[in-house]
Parts: sequence; C-alpha cells; structure tokens
Amino acid sequence: MNEQQSILLEQLLEQVQKPAQYIGGEMNSVIKDWDSVRFRFAFCFPDTYEIGMSHLGMKILYHLINSRQDALCERVFMPAADMADRMRQSGLPLFSWETRHLLTEFDIIGFTLQYEMSYTNILEMLDLARIPAYRDQRTDDMPFVVAGGPCAFNPEPLAPFIDAFMIGDGEDVMHELIEVIRDGREAKKEKIDILRDLARLEGVYVPALYQAEYNEDGTLRAFYPVDDAAPKVVKKRVVKDLSAAIYPDTIPVPYTEIVHDRMVLEIMRGCTRGCRFCQAGMLYRPVRERSMDRLLELADKLQQSTGYEEMSLSSLSSGDFSCLPQLIQALMDRYRDKRVGVSLPSMRIDNIVKQSLEETQQVKKSGLTLAPEAGTQRLRDVINKGVTEDDLIRSVTDAFECGWSSVKLYFMMGLPTETDEDLRGIGDLAKKVVDAYYRVPKEMRSKNGVRVTASASVFVPKPFTPFQWAAQDTMETVHEKQASLREYLKLKCVHFNWHESGLSMLEACISRGDRRIGDVIYAAWKRGCRLDGWNEHFKFDQWIEAFHDCGLTPDFYAYRERPYEELLPWQFIDAGVSQEYLKKENEKARQVQTTKDCRHGCNGCGLHTWGVCDWVKHPPLKDSDKMSAPLFD
Amino acid sequence: MKMIVVFEKAPRLRLIGHLDLMRAMQRALRRSGLPLRYSQGFNPHILLTFAAPLSVGMPGKREIMEVPLEHDVTPEDFVQKLSSALPPDLPVLSARPVDERHPAPMALLTAAVYEAQLEQVPDNFQQTIDGFLAQKEINVMRKTKSGLKPSDIRPMIYDLRLQGGTLHMALALSEKATCKPDLLLQSLFEFAQTERPRALITRLQLLGEEDGVFKPLESL
Ligand code: SF4
Repeated sequence: MNEQQSILLEQLLEQVQKPAQYIGGEMNSVIKDWDSVRFRFAFCFPDTYEIGMSHLGMKILYHLINSRQDALCERVFMPAADMADRMRQSGLPLFSWETRHLLTEFDIIGFTLQYEMSYTNILEMLDLARIPAYRDQRTDDMPFVVAGGPCAFNPEPLAPFIDAFMIGDGEDVMHELIEVIRDGREAKKEKIDILRDLARLEGVYVPALYQAEYNEDGTLRAFYPVDDAAPKVVKKRVVKDLSAAIYPDTIPVPYTEIVHDRMVLEIMRGCTRGCRFCQAGMLYRPVRERSMDRLLELADKLQQSTGYEEMSLSSLSSGDFSCLPQLIQALMDRYRDKRVGVSLPSMRIDNIVKQSLEETQQVKKSGLTLAPEAGTQRLRDVINKGVTEDDLIRSVTDAFECGWSSVKLYFMMGLPTETDEDLRGIGDLAKKVVDAYYRVPKEMRSKNGVRVTASASVFVPKPFTPFQWAAQDTMETVHEKQASLREYLKLKCVHFNWHESGLSMLEACISRGDRRIGDVIYAAWKRGCRLDGWNEHFKFDQWIEAFHDCGLTPDFYAYRERPYEELLPWQFIDAGVSQEYLKKENEKARQVQTTKDCRHGCNGCGLHTWGVCDWVKHPPLKDSDKMSAPLFD
Repeated sequence: MKMIVVFEKAPRLRLIGHLDLMRAMQRALRRSGLPLRYSQGFNPHILLTFAAPLSVGMPGKREIMEVPLEHDVTPEDFVQKLSSALPPDLPVLSARPVDERHPAPMALLTAAVYEAQLEQVPDNFQQTIDGFLAQKEINVMRKTKSGLKPSDIRPMIYDLRLQGGTLHMALALSEKATCKPDLLLQSLFEFAQTERPRALITRLQLLGEEDGVFKPLESL
C-alpha cells in the first residue's frame, strides 16, 4: 500500500475493536523482500484472525510456500465487521498482514475452505480487495483466485468465483499449481491457456472448462468438460508418506489471544472408523501416521522456535494412533523441565497416562470432550459410531478418577431414522454420566462437583458420506426436537446447548449445492450477509430472500431425499471412496448394520485400488488389540 | 542474579496491550534458552516484572523489565540469546546484571520522559505553554476509587517543552504519583482553548532519582 494508505490504516486501527489482530509482525511470521521473488501468494483465511491463526492447514501451506526460494506467502484474514465497514468507507483496500501489500499486487489469492458458512466472507474479502467476485469479470492482469480444503470436495457452489480448486492433500499439488501459474505468467500466456495447463494437473478442477445442464425439476441432467484439457473426473490428491511430507517446524506466534494458542502436532491424517455422517472421515482416507522420530523432531523444533507453553496433538481420532502412549510419554519426558503442557487430544486415559498424571501436572485438565453423537445403541449402529455406553461410562469414570470434573457431550439430532426414543436416550446418557461421577469415591474425584454440557447440533448431510442422499430435518421438526430435548435434559448438573437451526439448514444447502448456489451466495452477500458463522451477524431472512432472488428454494437442496439415480453435483470428483461403497454403507445403515473398523480388515471402500492405503494388506488387528476405550474426538 | 533489561516496543506494536506484551516476552524468554526462574505451583510461569506497563497505543523507546535467573549469565550472552528470540519490533537494547537484593525497578521508578508528535501545532503555542506552566495549580478531574476528584498536576510536571512539532514532557510516574501524558495534553489544550490535534505519544525513557537528580532507571 502507498504512504497515504498506511497513514489511513494507522488511523483506522485506533477506531476499531481488537486492533492488534491487524498488525502482523508476529514472531516467526515470514517477511521476504518483495522484489526478490518470482511469485507472490496471498493466503486468505475467510474468517477472522483469531480463528484463522488457529488453523493447522494454513500453517502448513504458509510454511511450504515460504520454503520456496522463488516465492513468498503472506497471510490475509477476514476483518471483523467494524474494520470491514471502516475500510470500505474510507477506501482502504484489503492488505496482507506481513508487508501490507494490497491483494491486487499478488499473483495468486488462495482461500482455504473449512466451512460453508464462511463463503460470504470470501466475497466480502474480494470486494474489500477490489477484485470482482465473478471470475468471468476479472481481467487477465488480476491475480488468480484459487481454493482448497475439505469443502472444495464439492466445489460447485463457488464455481462462479474461483479460477481453480485443489482437491485433496495440498502439499504436492500446491507446488505444481504455483509453478504452472508462475511459468504461464512469465511467458505472458493468456489466462485461459494457463487455466488449461492447470486443468491438466491431477487434483485440480477448473470450473471454467465445465458445463452443467439441469432438468426441468431442477436436478442436474449433465455435467461435462467443454475443453480437451479438462478431465471428466478430477481425482483427489493423496500424500502417501506423511513422515516425508513437509511440516512447519516454526509457526507465527500471535501477540493477541486466539482460539487455539499453542503448538499443534499433526500425528496422523485420516480415520479408519467409518462413521457414516462424518465427511472428514471419508475425505481424508487413507489413514497415514507420522513416525515417532519425525514427530519428536518436529516437537523439539516447534517448541524451540515458538516458546509455546502448550502442545496439542491433532488428527481425526488421535486415540487410534498406534503409539499414542509412547508418544505422550516421550513428550512429557522432554517437556517436564521446559514446563510445556501436553493437552490430550481426546479421552484415552489408559494406564500410562494415568500414571503420569499422578507424577506430574503436565497433562492439562481442561474440559473433557466426548462425542457419542447419538443417544441409543440402535442409532449409534445406524451411524456406525463404534462406541457403546459401557465404553463411554468407563472413559468418564477414568477421567473423574483422575480429577476431571467437567464433561462435554456432543450429539447430533436429525440423524436418519431418528425417533423420540433416541432423543430420550440423550437425556439418559447425560444422567448416567452424572451418576458415574457420584460413584467415584469422594477422595478421588474433584471437589468442584460435576458439570455435564450436552450439545446437540443439527445433522447436516454431506457429500462423499453414506448419508449424502439423505433429507435434512425441516426447521420445524428441528424446533420440536429441540423442545423435547430441553425437557429430557432438565437434569441436575446438566446444561444443554443447541444450535441455530437456520444456519444448519443453509449449511446443508451449500454443502450439497450446485453451481446455481453460487448466485445465491452472491445475492446473500449483496444483501449484507457476511460472518454468518457469528451469531450476532447471521441474517437468516436475508439468505431466504437471496434464494428467492435466484428463483431457487432451500427445500430443494436441504429437505429432499435424493434418489440414487440422481446425478450429484460433486460426482465428477473422485474422492477415492467410491459411490458404490457409499450406497452400500447407506443401505447397511437402514438395516442397522455396522461396518467394522478398517484396521480389522479392509472394507473395500474404493481406495484399495489406489495403492495408497497401508491397511489393505495389513494383517487385521485382533479383537484383543482393539483400543481399550474407543476414542471420541 | 537478576537482569535489568532495556528493550524497545516499536510503533508497529503500539496497539498491543500490556498482558499480550508480557506473554510475548515470556515466550521469547522461553525460546532464548536462558536459565529462567519459574513460579511455583500449579501453572508455573516465568518470573518477570515490567517496570511500568505501557498504555495501549503507546510505543516505548527504552522500556525496562527485570528477569530473575537461575544462574549467572554475562550481559553480552543474555542480550545475544534474547535478541535472537525476539521479533524485529521488540529489540533488546541492553542488560545489566544486579544481585538478588537489588530493589525492583518498579520501586525505584519516579518519572518518565515522553514525546508527543503533534499533527498540527497551534499558533503561538510556546507562549501558551509558558502560561500553562506559570499557573500555581493545575487542577484536573481524575477518576479515583471514590469517583471523579479534582487533583493538582502542576507538581507532577517536571519538564514541558516544544521543539518543532514535538512536545517533550517529563512527568511523574511512580507508585505514589502519576500524571499520564494523555491527561497532560488534555489539560494543556483545554487551557489553550484549541482543539487537541492528533498526536502519537511515545515513552522515551523511564527515570529514577539519585541524590535528588533524575537518572535513567536502568542505571540505578
Ligand atoms: S482401502 Fe480399505 S482399509 Fe483403506 S480406508 Fe478404504 S476400506 Fe479402509
């Protein structure tokens, strides 16, 4: 930005809430000489600093791009509403946190897609940056706008805005994408030709090269490439060896408080459990672990470079990590003198940890989070959540014996086949957890008294899950169920949290949306929607109006059970898990049949033909090797 | 031993609050590998005290903190280790070892020097300043525990000069008496009967006294 804009920014900072989030200059943030590189990448997180800075994927890619000699990567976050308004009023465009360059000065603007309800923030950020949202309105000299992350597996709702999507693990494809755009721009190629080159990369989807056609009833009739460079099917990228993959040994340490202010060690990617509602569990297959050596090396470097006083382990189901007790023991050993706490990823208080707990206070006793997801065994079998009531009660009892006193229980309501009995089951389970506390002898349990928080989110059917065809409960039904749950959870020591049903309904529309949903998102943004994930900013009515503006209805997307024959908007993406497998799993769900954890034998999900999954040939774990208490993250 | 450390809080960081700055410094110390001392108890933290918190919005040229150490370290070594662990906007300028019984900087602090860069200087402002200082009493309303109360800040102003567009001030800052630069500016411009211009206020130096003479706090 120019001198005048810098002065303006300094003035704005004095007028807004939490100004320190905008200043950058954090320890370990990477500031490279702007003119010394061939290529500049603005990594945009479509939510505010405190959330974006807590996100692991961003740290990995920030480190990866900056480790290239020829490139620099700077961070950009969504300004809070007051800052966004003032920037717009005063004409200050959106800038990068490191060197305060305007977004238009970068070669690529990359968004990470973690949550559908942050999509209006993408439009807001582009607008603040003075970049047209619709890709066909951007000229060739403007930056490329790309996106990746879990929500990119159904890229269609953002297809009108994004030039290229990266599908799957980003570590390898990011380099390839950067090089294609870098070389194309240096050779002064036309944008459309660079897009063609991008479409030839495995795992890259270029929406401009595809066409969608619809039936009269609004369903998708056909979806096909209109250019030779574009493949019919876009295959997700998989990083086979996680230990060899790049991982940050240094991360920016914020000055201000953020949501997760600590070092994070990604111990593995993927999950073998196969919960049927869980999109991440399907998208991140296969399971890959980082080696102990690599993890300890990273842990040492991270601690030295950040000075953090806390470390947490990250994965979808850390309890399944094959050497978890050894890892925790090793971390506690090396961190004892350095006063670094290790926060346990989930609930697996087995003997080793229990023993260490008695020795030291290194393990943080922050709240304990368990996710039984459903209130009865029948429904847990339907969703293939391999947790029994006994497991749960044993886990909380262990924790209570170690001094924990507050437990969070996560449930979903509106799961396929749910009845009132399942809702009652949620109340029963909460009660049993309270009882478990009182059964622990007084001298062993915490004196604070027990506190159980039961949260019930609204089930959102997601692409690439066995429930991708399912109808979501209508908002009316959700409200009735919430009222019943409130009754069932009127218990001593139990607190009930529920979710905004409108938000979940919109999330269902967008996550399974087609290209036309892009216009709805744009219309909603035009009507003032942004920061939708923040209660105080969420404008449900404006969203509904936005659907009307575009001649569409939310019911069509959220409440309709889709037949197997219907062409799904995301079907051209190959996530490894086959549509046949998902159908089979959906049928088993209807028959209340469970599917075993992959570690007891490959279930043939589709990835077995890719040669990337170690569990295909792995001798099945015996029942006796089974995790003593299944982990719920 | 303890180390008396002088560091700068650069203008870029001026909007960082005291607690955030403190945490950043603690993490820097942890990165430095220096032999730190920790508090006892459940949540051990690094022992570290600042001579005087800086208000949000104010950069500091020579801020002071005291860092108790487990065992002796040369000041050169200390500066070198801590420097490499600090971000560019938070450089460490010097360190002086003192023994355990040395009074805490906070206890020796009596005043601070500030500068305020004024966006515009009113006409004949020097005369205004002279008139302002010639007053026997300068009564301002101050927030106290028992509500707003009048208080005389004249004895707390040790120096007030205009140099070009910059106002230099030396004001009381201690456990007993404090006049914040903001309060002084407010009172001065009320006296001048002109609107207060925007001003970036920087704290330049913390002071203590020796034999009735002000000296840089870090030298005491
Ligand atoms: S290939 Fe087999 S073992 Fe691997 S994730 Fe799929 S079902 Fe599980």
